[in-house]
Amino acid sequence: MLDLNRAVALALLGFSSGYGYLAYFYHLLPFEKFLSVRPNTMPIGLAIAGIICSLVILIQPQVPEVEGDGTVNRPDAEYLQNPQNYNWGQGIGLLLLAVVYTLSLRGAGFLFSTSAFLVLGGILLGERRYTFLIPISITASVLVWYLVDQVLTVYLRPWPGWVYY
Amino acid sequence: MLDGMLLGLETAFTFQNLFFAALGCFIGTIIGMLPGLGPMSVVAIMIPVSLQIGDPSTTLILLAGVYYGAIFGGSTSSILINAPGEAAVVATAFDGYPMARKGQAGKALTIAAISSFSGGTIGVVLLMFFAPALASFAILFWSAEYFALMLLGLSAVSAFAGKGKVLKAVMMTLLGLMLATVGESSLFHAPRFTLGIMDLQSGINFVTLAMGLFAVPEAFFLAIDKIRSKKSSSKKSQEISNLRINLKEAKAIAPVIGRQSIQGFLIGVMPGTGATIASFLGYAVERNLASPEEREEFGKGSIKGLAAPETANNAASTGSFVPLLTLGIPGSGTTAVLLGAFIALNLQPGPQLLQERPEVFWSVIMSMYFGNIVLLVLNLPLVPYIARLLAIPRGYLIPFVMFFAMAGAYIGQNNSTELLLLLGFGVLAIILRFADYPLPPLLIGFVLGQMFEDNLGRAMRNANGIEFIWERPMTLTLILTAAVFILVPILRDWLANKRRK
Repeated sequence: MLDLNRAVALALLGFSSGYGYLAYFYHLLPFEKFLSVRPNTMPIGLAIAGIICSLVILIQPQVPEVEGDGTVNRPDAEYLQNPQNYNWGQGIGLLLLAVVYTLSLRGAGFLFSTSAFLVLGGILLGERRYTFLIPISITASVLVWYLVDQVLTVYLRPWPGWVYY
Repeated sequence: MLDGMLLGLETAFTFQNLFFAALGCFIGTIIGMLPGLGPMSVVAIMIPVSLQIGDPSTTLILLAGVYYGAIFGGSTSSILINAPGEAAVVATAFDGYPMARKGQAGKALTIAAISSFSGGTIGVVLLMFFAPALASFAILFWSAEYFALMLLGLSAVSAFAGKGKVLKAVMMTLLGLMLATVGESSLFHAPRFTLGIMDLQSGINFVTLAMGLFAVPEAFFLAIDKIRSKKSSSKKSQEISNLRINLKEAKAIAPVIGRQSIQGFLIGVMPGTGATIASFLGYAVERNLASPEEREEFGKGSIKGLAAPETANNAASTGSFVPLLTLGIPGSGTTAVLLGAFIALNLQPGPQLLQERPEVFWSVIMSMYFGNIVLLVLNLPLVPYIARLLAIPRGYLIPFVMFFAMAGAYIGQNNSTELLLLLGFGVLAIILRFADYPLPPLLIGFVLGQMFEDNLGRAMRNANGIEFIWERPMTLTLILTAAVFILVPILRDWLANKRRK
């Protein structure tokens, strides 16, 4: 049966093969052919080892998730066995929010996107005291920006990209 | 030497210098907590500020304070939110974070502070007595030996090979090594495996990968599991009562600290290896030396597993001053930055420094003592407050952890592609955790991969083949040690299985 464990092994097998393909057909510069270590020497070795290793994981017998004496071998597997006990919406929502935050950084600037991310993240995770949440989020993002940009003088664009200041 | 020590003490022991040591430690601790700003960047950032002071000794004391503070700050974010912002503190998260999960955040921070202090202080003592002798020893190490040392560092992954997971740990290490080959390498002439993506040209950023693998999944699991985040927040009382370590625990970690101070220092002396490999090796060695019951605890919140890397990375950071002060060779990124500070102060580190400017040489050493002591005095009282960060309600804590992780990769680059990559790694890490693949080996492979290939390549070019393995006794010894490290746990499991049957 193809469980997650083996599916991942299969994906790793695919990755190793793809990597091996790229390594094997790597375009060597003319003089690189005479080197004792070529740019693709170690990658080819890694790819071969990766393919062997993922194949063995794929075909070897599985370790039971919970032993007879009650020791749990896969601590995080609990989440998948009883998915109804967990709020997946919040976890996946947080990741999606992070993607939106990432994409908005250029367009909306650090200060605005970060404040928005922290406020929306808080709301998503069940915080309803807006009078606390909003000021804290704005203060935090301004503080981080001030520390990084003004105190440490590491440039961090505060405003949207189209605002010149 | 006594003269020199007194001279150094005289220079360093003024109110102004004490004040700057404390200030440096404080600033370093605060900034060091931000992932992505490791000791190297913090010291670099502080150099222009500190040069304003004018007095070379005071400047170096301030920088030493910042340096030690930043190392400690880095361990803090590793322990509290599983966000190692720097390669040297990755091993700290292995046991520090599980301890924080169990509600022992305060204790973990205390152990980290004590181990850092001991590692640093013992390191300085060794530096004082053995610096010239060690410097000549360190240059005997060639790329062949470095390659063997990397192999030894990689053998640390065997520590994560739980039951039936040996192959998974190996697979993850290989994956890490593969990721490390992406981009340009110092040995070859064109970027590899970038798939034509410009952002991959300079390789995968360490902070991006570390945050993606460690911090993002943690934020995700905290978000989906209400009880998990409660576990850390409702134990407020326990955190505070659990601050101090008891006599039994002190006895358990004392030998670890002793061994790792010396081992870490010796590894730090080799130019180019530094704190990262010292921490991984320290972790692996202590795991192999521990009794079977204690070994089970490693990775689940063992105090030994926390003390070992913390001691080793601080001792190694101190050790990296040996080649800097005696040969003028910077052995690590941070010492390279400090070399810049030395030159800006019109000092030339090297064999002449001790003869020409003894007061500076000794005040640097004394300032390292100072930095360590101030760090302990300043941070131990702060531990309860720092530990209470975890008691923040989840509506604030989780978005902040996520933001914190991303800020590390974004600051200084202003490149959002880096963040997309980080989130991609995060999703990958979540899937790998569901399938129970250990993630630390991936990061170890990645961190050591580049150095591994560079040194293997150089050694093979020098020897025109792999003869260097048996022609250089030191290399052979190190490689055999690595083999023992990998094979012993496997054999032990196998024998245990056989006996049970």
